[in-house]
Amino acid sequence: MRIGVFVCNCGTNIAGTVDTAKVASEALAFADVVYATNYMYTCSEPGQQEIQRAIGEYGLQGVVVAACSPRMHEPTFRRAVEKAGLNKYMFEMANIREHVSWIGNDREANTRKAVDLVRMAVGKLRFNQPLFSSKMPVNKRLLVIGGGVAGIQAALDCADGGVDVVMVERKQYIGGKMAQLDKTFPTIDCSSCILGPKMVDVSQKENITLYAASEIESISGYIGNFTVEIRKKTTYVNWDACTGCGACMEKCPAKKAEDYFNEGLGTARAINIPFPQAIPKKAVIDAQFCRQLNGKKCGVCAKICPVKAIDFEMKDTIVTEKVGAIIAATGYDLFDHSVYGEYGAGRLPDVITGIQYERILSASGPYGGHIRRPSDGKEPTEIVFISCVGSRDQSVGRPYCSGVCCMYIAKQAILTRDHLPESNSYVFYMDIRAPGKNYDEFVRRAQEEYGVQYIRGRVGKIYQRGDRMVVQGADTLLGVQVEVEADLVVLATGVESSSGAGELAEKLRISYDQYGFYMESHPKLRPVETNTAGVYLAGACQGPKDIPSSVAQGSAAASKVQSLFAHDMIETNPQVALVNERNCIACGKCIQVCPFGAIQWKELRGGIKKAEVLPSVCQGCGVCNATCPPKAVQLQHATDNQILAEVNELCA
Amino acid sequence: MLENDRNQLHKLVEEALPELDMMIGWAESCDPLQTTPVFIRDAKSISKLTLGPFCSQNLAGYLVKPPALDAPPKPDAKPIGICVKGCDSRSLVALIQEKFITRDRVRIFGIPCRGTVDFRKVAQRVPLANVKSATMEGDSLVIDDSGTPLRLDLEEVLARKCLGCRYPNPVIQDVVIGQEAKPRSSSLAATYRDVAAMDAKPLEERLAFWQSELDRCIRCYACRNACPLCVCQDRCIVETREPRWLTQRVGIPEKFLFHFIHAMHLAGRCTGCGECERVCPMDIPVTLIKEKLNKIMEEMLGYSAGLDPEAVPPLLTFNPGETEI
Amino acid sequence: MTDSSPRSSAPADETAATKQGIKIVGFLCNWCSYGGADTAGVCRFKQPTDLRVVRIPCTGRMDPLFIAKSLIYGVDGVLVSGCHPRDCHYAVGNFYARRRMEAFKAFLPFMGIDTQRFKYTWVSASEGQQWQKVVTEFSEQIHRLGPNPGVRLRSGDNSKVSSGLR
Repeated sequence: MRIGVFVCNCGTNIAGTVDTAKVASEALAFADVVYATNYMYTCSEPGQQEIQRAIGEYGLQGVVVAACSPRMHEPTFRRAVEKAGLNKYMFEMANIREHVSWIGNDREANTRKAVDLVRMAVGKLRFNQPLFSSKMPVNKRLLVIGGGVAGIQAALDCADGGVDVVMVERKQYIGGKMAQLDKTFPTIDCSSCILGPKMVDVSQKENITLYAASEIESISGYIGNFTVEIRKKTTYVNWDACTGCGACMEKCPAKKAEDYFNEGLGTARAINIPFPQAIPKKAVIDAQFCRQLNGKKCGVCAKICPVKAIDFEMKDTIVTEKVGAIIAATGYDLFDHSVYGEYGAGRLPDVITGIQYERILSASGPYGGHIRRPSDGKEPTEIVFISCVGSRDQSVGRPYCSGVCCMYIAKQAILTRDHLPESNSYVFYMDIRAPGKNYDEFVRRAQEEYGVQYIRGRVGKIYQRGDRMVVQGADTLLGVQVEVEADLVVLATGVESSSGAGELAEKLRISYDQYGFYMESHPKLRPVETNTAGVYLAGACQGPKDIPSSVAQGSAAASKVQSLFAHDMIETNPQVALVNERNCIACGKCIQVCPFGAIQWKELRGGIKKAEVLPSVCQGCGVCNATCPPKAVQLQHATDNQILAEVNELCA
Repeated sequence: MLENDRNQLHKLVEEALPELDMMIGWAESCDPLQTTPVFIRDAKSISKLTLGPFCSQNLAGYLVKPPALDAPPKPDAKPIGICVKGCDSRSLVALIQEKFITRDRVRIFGIPCRGTVDFRKVAQRVPLANVKSATMEGDSLVIDDSGTPLRLDLEEVLARKCLGCRYPNPVIQDVVIGQEAKPRSSSLAATYRDVAAMDAKPLEERLAFWQSELDRCIRCYACRNACPLCVCQDRCIVETREPRWLTQRVGIPEKFLFHFIHAMHLAGRCTGCGECERVCPMDIPVTLIKEKLNKIMEEMLGYSAGLDPEAVPPLLTFNPGETEI
Repeated sequence: MTDSSPRSSAPADETAATKQGIKIVGFLCNWCSYGGADTAGVCRFKQPTDLRVVRIPCTGRMDPLFIAKSLIYGVDGVLVSGCHPRDCHYAVGNFYARRRMEAFKAFLPFMGIDTQRFKYTWVSASEGQQWQKVVTEFSEQIHRLGPNPGVRLRSGDNSKVSSGLR
């Protein structure tokens, strides 16, 4: 092989602490190196032309550039050598900037290290092979997991663009947390008024298939070609027949069922449609409370149902959908405040959560939109809000800010004053975080126009006194202890990752942080992509987020999907594993360890089995290569010979 | 007693042979201290089959070595009968576990084992050329070298691997021949006493030990060829050019790397049958290397190879929760 | 063993080490630790110059035999670094690697190779400072150990005696 070595000065970035001319001259002595030089800025247009000129002039078959990190400019140089007629994999980079010149000042040692790195790159290049990518078709269908506002936005954007969308929601209705909210900050517009039409759109768009009361069973495949198994959970109601008339709900004698939608503030019937605007508007039987399903004689709903939709024998079913991209929009859950003994450990009936208060405020809520307290139904006059319950608190393992609580407290305090003009609201807070557009103004309005009393400090104790509660806390600005006799206490419980987020992440093969939030591919530059190609994120599954941000992410993810779907074919990465059948002993260890199911059996004539890599599924991790005893499976561009060559250069 | 067992074996094999493709067992050889593997298809040859402390070979490997490996059995193929001692049976389990053979492909004649004789230990007591015959009498090995019969305590002449044996009885079998044998060891400490002795030495002494031992290695690959789990054989990376892990240079580093490769490829798979050491023409204690890894697997990952046909070898799986292994 | 080897005479080694430098090979996964090393560079976090990095896609690609090969043939230290557990770009590659390297680490000293010459660690692409710490500490550790004597036999010592271990 005829190899050319180009050592970059990078101005003084490299040349400042590395003798690049010496690196080039020493490189000339390496095996197969026929040309070596140093250049001011190799990545510049003339720098690239110099490489291309040398390829022509010296008949180079491989190129080494010693410059910055390959994570920076490998694509640049690969394109450059490709233009000059080389296969772009006949190129190697030696990182002598980030790994040498920028981390050491000893010019002599740096130069020695740079020479070593170039020698290793040349050593590896001598084992490089031209690689070629193949193309595979894209299935232009999208799976959206989660039917909250982020998922809805993503689904509608894509559906508008002509993409077939499959939406899976584990609850029986879409809308997510936003559907439970009364009003939204900072505009105080009605949550269901702005979300409702979007929910209706989802149900009416012909190219959106909605699976509510369903969960993801398994996901296989890869970008462009995922196969998803969806478990449709037992609802005991045939949804194809159910018209959502609600007759069953009226007659159901099991009236003490848990009202999840109203956060346990009221009760529901065992057969239930959680709220009037629910999409899909279909009834579901709660097996825990249904008399018939618990062995008692009932079946009232089955008798009353005009379309005979009730089916007590129903079982879960699995449906399979094929899609080309996936958006995870699984939202969030709220922190369980019962760990806080100082707030009554969840035992005081009139200490409620922010989301419960939303339901109380809501005209379609359990109290018809009249503010009452759960214990005795009395109108409260003194209301205390406590922020950061399960946020910014290392002691409960939630060191992060939930981002939305400051704002929803301000909103709820304003609404409280609207509902009960005679009431007094107090907010215990740590800091007010209101960085969004018109957010700080909104909080100021709560304080200045609505007379909400903001007390900077933590609450130390809440206890019952008569039919009221005493809230003891500190006002750290005044440096005094304060005590408020409250009728109602609202805890701004923080945002945590959705239950089951980890399990879903495993199915999606995406990573998640220690709190269960999904990891974006890059915190700034790739905020809705994951490290698994074809899987995108939207909304609070990636981290606490308010509605505007969730919607923005939903649209962002949708645009990523549409740019993917703008292609009929996608190019595969040729840096994947390849089996040398002659060496394969069919031990199957590669199949056992492959994290992607990318290796399968192949039968040759005579029934001889060999392992075979599916190049479009293989992600190129190389676990198979490390595992294969006879090293019959080799990860292209990181083969044993290539890695050994680099090591050998150091052993010499 | 041995005579009874042998008769029982002959009888059982005679009954089974018509349903078998062949029977793999041990036969007496010209050397009174060693047997030879025998492959029987013909009822007339059944009488060759023998048992006893000289049946040192692990026959399990014969089931999977190429070309048997490449050519899958025909669907109507009859099973193969095979004699296994306790340790051999673990190799069989490992092979079943790794799906090199299916359980129904083998008819397993289990032989409880009281230990096998290392003829080289006998040779230290009496010139092998003089040995006319060797017979078991109770716990003694009686050697006839044309003089006064020499009576050797079995313990003195057992193979090293037998001294700490925890599984003298086959862990998988269809029929059992003879009486259950008592394990010589029930503890990790007894099984791995040679490993512990080595571990107790200073690092420099260990290096010196292996330098001196492995220096004798002639890279004949007998250890690899005898290993029932070294299924790669002629595709073994110590010989292939593609990829090229080892050069043909005769040097200590090459010998070290060869033995590292052998050991690492057996990590979590080796059942400690001792074949590698038994066949080493240069007297290198190569099983000891694998014993260390076996000990690591047991202590670190709670895994002993060749006991459970359903288990996954530990290095082919993982446990996300094991933050501190 | 005699002490006639040039490798084992301490003063000679010292000069050799200072002149040529200790050589440490680092196997870094492309996604996390290679990025972390880049981050350290971008932040100008100064580090010893002994490390030579081999870029691998994932620590799951790490066959412990690469480490064996390096140490047997006299590389002074081997540092393997990848994504934190659960952060693997390939989901589980580092889980496989962790078991294999942990077992290998326990095995190395049995063969007479100092286990301190091998270290594996997890450094993410954002942890430039952590990378600086890892490299500095490991390099200092290898400098304390001195050049790797490797496994080569001293000249003239070709004793073909049996160990008598049987």
